Amino acid sequence: MDIRVLTSADIPHVQSTNITNLPENYFLKYYLYHALSWPQLSWVAVDVSRPKKTPYDPPKIVGYVLAKMEEEPVNGIQHGHITSLSVMRTHRRLGLADKLMRQSQRAMVEVYGAQYVSLHVRMSNIAALRLYRDTLGFAVEKVEAKYYADGEDAYSMKMDLKFLREHIEAEEEYADEGQEVGDVGKNEEKKKDGEEGKKKRKVKLGRGLGVGELVERNESKA
Amino acid sequence: MAPQPAPQPLASKERSLFTQVVKNYENKQYKKGLKAADQILRKNPDHGDTIAMKALIINSQGNTDEAFALAKIALKNSMKSHVCWHVYGLLYRSAKNFEEAIKAYKFALKLEPESQQIQKDLALLQMQMRDYQGYVQSRRAILQQRTSWRQNWTALAIAQHLAGDLVNAERTLTTFEDTLKGVPPKTDIEHAEAVLYKNAIIAEMGDIGRALEHLDAAAKNNPDRTSVMELRAKYLLTLGRNEEAAKAYQALLARNPEYRAYFEGLEAALGLDRSDIKAMKDLYTDYASQNPRGDAARRIPLDFLEGDDFREAADHYLQHMLRKGIPSTFANIKALYANTAKKDTILGLVDSYASDGPTPMVNGSAEKQANGDAELFGPSVRYFLAQHYNYYLSRDLKRAMKYVDELLDLAPKSVDYHMTKARIWKHYGNAQKAAETMEKARTLDDRDRYINTKSAKYHLRNNDNGAAIKNMSLFTRNEAPGGPLGDLHDMQCIWYITEDGESYVRQGKLGLALKRFASISSIFDIWQEDQFDFHSFSLRKGQIRAYVDMIRWEDHLRDHPFFSRAAIAAAQVYVKLYDRPDLAHGSLSNGVNGAKMDSAERKKAEKKARKEREKQEKAEAERKDAKKPAAVDQNGEPKKEDKDPNGELLLQTPEPLLEAMKYVNHLLENSPKNIHAQQLAFEVFIRRRKFLLALRTLIASHTISPSDPTLHEQIFRFQHSLSRLSEPLPPKTMEVINAEFNDLLPASTGLDKHNDDFLQKHHDSAPHVQACLKVRQMLDPSSSEKAQQDLIRTLALESCSLEDAVRGLEILEEWKPEPKYKNDYIAAAHERWPEASAFVSKKQD
Ligand SMILES: CC(C)(COP(=O)(O)OP(=O)(O)OC[C@H]1O[C@@H](n2cnc3c(N)ncnc32)[C@H](O)[C@@H]1OP(=O)(O)O)[C@@H](O)C(=O)NCCC(=O)NCCS
Repeated sequence: MDIRVLTSADIPHVQSTNITNLPENYFLKYYLYHALSWPQLSWVAVDVSRPKKTPYDPPKIVGYVLAKMEEEPVNGIQHGHITSLSVMRTHRRLGLADKLMRQSQRAMVEVYGAQYVSLHVRMSNIAALRLYRDTLGFAVEKVEAKYYADGEDAYSMKMDLKFLREHIEAEEEYADEGQEVGDVGKNEEKKKDGEEGKKKRKVKLGRGLGVGELVERNESKA
Repeated sequence: MAPQPAPQPLASKERSLFTQVVKNYENKQYKKGLKAADQILRKNPDHGDTIAMKALIINSQGNTDEAFALAKIALKNSMKSHVCWHVYGLLYRSAKNFEEAIKAYKFALKLEPESQQIQKDLALLQMQMRDYQGYVQSRRAILQQRTSWRQNWTALAIAQHLAGDLVNAERTLTTFEDTLKGVPPKTDIEHAEAVLYKNAIIAEMGDIGRALEHLDAAAKNNPDRTSVMELRAKYLLTLGRNEEAAKAYQALLARNPEYRAYFEGLEAALGLDRSDIKAMKDLYTDYASQNPRGDAARRIPLDFLEGDDFREAADHYLQHMLRKGIPSTFANIKALYANTAKKDTILGLVDSYASDGPTPMVNGSAEKQANGDAELFGPSVRYFLAQHYNYYLSRDLKRAMKYVDELLDLAPKSVDYHMTKARIWKHYGNAQKAAETMEKARTLDDRDRYINTKSAKYHLRNNDNGAAIKNMSLFTRNEAPGGPLGDLHDMQCIWYITEDGESYVRQGKLGLALKRFASISSIFDIWQEDQFDFHSFSLRKGQIRAYVDMIRWEDHLRDHPFFSRAAIAAAQVYVKLYDRPDLAHGSLSNGVNGAKMDSAERKKAEKKARKEREKQEKAEAERKDAKKPAAVDQNGEPKKEDKDPNGELLLQTPEPLLEAMKYVNHLLENSPKNIHAQQLAFEVFIRRRKFLLALRTLIASHTISPSDPTLHEQIFRFQHSLSRLSEPLPPKTMEVINAEFNDLLPASTGLDKHNDDFLQKHHDSAPHVQACLKVRQMLDPSSSEKAQQDLIRTLALESCSLEDAVRGLEILEEWKPEPKYKNDYIAAAHERWPEASAFVSKKQD
């Protein structure tokens, strides 16, 4: 299974993966909106070993994380959101969600200077809760009553990304001092592991959201 | 009424009213806008611009026809008004007739060359239509109006880039950069991206040395580090600077050790050959030890190792995964089965685990929690074996079932085990038991949508569309117009709609089938349209490489198997309708039986169908009256009501082959290398007597797979049709055909001989034998009896699959066989596939 950044061509299968695994679904355009606004933040897990039946077979997506930056952050504090995360049941417990989340979080800090990342999760979703809280290091911020369309409450969770920021800064200083890039990269990775990672994610509420609205709102701002 | 050439002046009160109309329109205050417009029109009934605005508003409310009629009146009244032309263009644009919209905008622009809005609208459409030359012109005009905006420069560069003018694209970006005073801060994302975009253009020109230079100079502190590092590594490798390239790939792997492209880059940079086992092993062992939680470094060596090395590595890998009780182990391994030796080794290993348990770990690592391990290990091993014997390359369904039943004894509530059991039933060919078992799995975890999805899919495979949608409705927004299915359509749930359609094909409900496939096609239309907003959005966001990547993907959007699968199925239905027009008679169209009914039966059935239809229509009408939800699409625009929910109108088409062509054109344009697309196209062309086009599909199929069985049959059918033309083809056409066709079917070899040779060559493959028998039947109808016997014999071929056997039965039925042969066929098939419903139920009738 490869872990790599999501591209437009992946979207139909990402959308299928989403609607196969989760009740919160979106139009293709909403995925495009993510991929074309913050192309570094959404990642996919790909089953590279499947033989192609025709030259047109796109990569087989078995998991994805769809992520964004908050467009209008309160107090101007940059932060990321996890819009959606899921892994096909046939490929769960391979560590894919964990890896997807970590890549996304790193890009949030590196590219957009995110201070923290937030997400929502159903209170009944044990697997996801364990992943966020125990494996990644998210903390419950508050409970949002009736967040989901079916009336279930959500935990609103949050994870500070300061530790990642510090690593990246150290890494850059290091690099500026002429250290070999390769070693720097390794260092960073080790530290991350040691810190027991802090990542966060968010599940978007409701259906497709008016992407037209989103796009228009942004247009009118320009 | 004569057109009024001059602009029509308004009094000041009306002028301000008009401004208000425009504002109301922009703010979507349609009612207010209409009211104000009518106020103006009361005094100035012919005022073109006002009528045009009214048309625009009415269109936004969903009344397209009326809007166009009004716009035409507006234009008649003021031929020279750019507003009227602009509106006309906007209406065409919203009706998705982009060619006409572009024309109208161009008229408007001629009348009002300074209008930025019209220029911009025109540019967007040119981009959407891939009129790159026109787009370059428009972007240049927009740039000239405002040279201080970076966006305008970037946009021109994109236009030039896509038009293939890389040199000027780079120059445009550089010209703007030269106006910058000082280096923008790191937080200037737009700048950072523009630099990388320029770098991509340089690389695309093929000058990798300069691309690297530029990258090192301009992107050192670029926040998109992944991109910079990936580009750098690639450039270094291309330039043969291997030592640096190796370091660059190591740096990338340190960030993401789960990406094969990085490992491949590193191998190349280190000059490693996959046959250099020792060095390769060292490399991956090193990475594996660095990443205790990583998978790639452990899994990749299984691809290149052989023999004992493979056994050792596979043993290690499998035990590691199975100890942890990872249920997806098999999914991660099965690709290796393409190699028979590896498949056997793996089975040997896992069998030994089943008999001996896990080998104790050498180093007592954290993983060693002995009890936990043993508890997980046993079931994991059995679960692996169940999947192993269920996999098509190592199938032994009895054993698979044995293992899964053992597991279910231990864990009767396991979703995964039930799921696997359902799959085993599917492979047995028993769709009903498969569906029942999957349904059981679903009830064991009814909050998990994955298992819900699976159960719905299995219901569809079992042709139980009602049960399927009922399951789906547990996770859909059921108040959506059209209920759960409407919601699935809104959410572009391709898999469901496609499977639903295929299930209707199997049931002979061809109208509904066509309806579903048309839905898939319309989703692709939406996906194509979706890019429109990004032509402007992406300029503001500044994420240019992602935008260009999206454009290039959209250019071949419909080569996606999601599209071709539905398109082929739809066109096949139309071909069927052409061959059997009687199938178009409403609910009569249950495929096989329609033709056999006598006229009294048919009348009765038709009457029943009509009654049913009326009942449905009435219910539908009542439902609509009861509450009319304001249905809107993803952009908040009102949706057109579906006047043909059951596809009856699609079914009644007088020209099924022309309908099929709509799909065929897309398929040939986008998926020419898909042999099924070519073969389907053949079926349509041969019926339309388009011999040259049919021949072209044969040649294309031949290039893809020269000994494909369907191709073999189609070649003969082509010959057959040519040989019995009522009127000769034009000499020119015949000349081409003779020249080209001879390669496919050499005239020098007799037809029978050619067919027999082919049969001889592929005598152990059921699909090939079937094809040859069909050909023989066509060449010599009197040989039918022998063909029928031979068809029965294919069932004994070792390689004959259940699917082959089912197809064989269809072929036999087309031949209208003696009941004896049909019974023999079914009996033989039943013996070999005792659980398959295809041969059980049919035996009884
Ligand atoms: C939640 C989900 C994304 C996890 O994906 P995954 O790839 O299987 O997760 P990982 O393998 O990366 O698991 C990482 C850690 O999360 C925890 N975890 C994951 N699944 C778990 C489960 N079913 N039960 C308990 N803990 C679990 C474990 O701590 C695990 O570490 P471990 O395997 O070393 O014990 C996946 O189960 C899923 O797609 N579920 C359905 C959709 C969904 O709920 N998405 C999240 C919405 S908020």
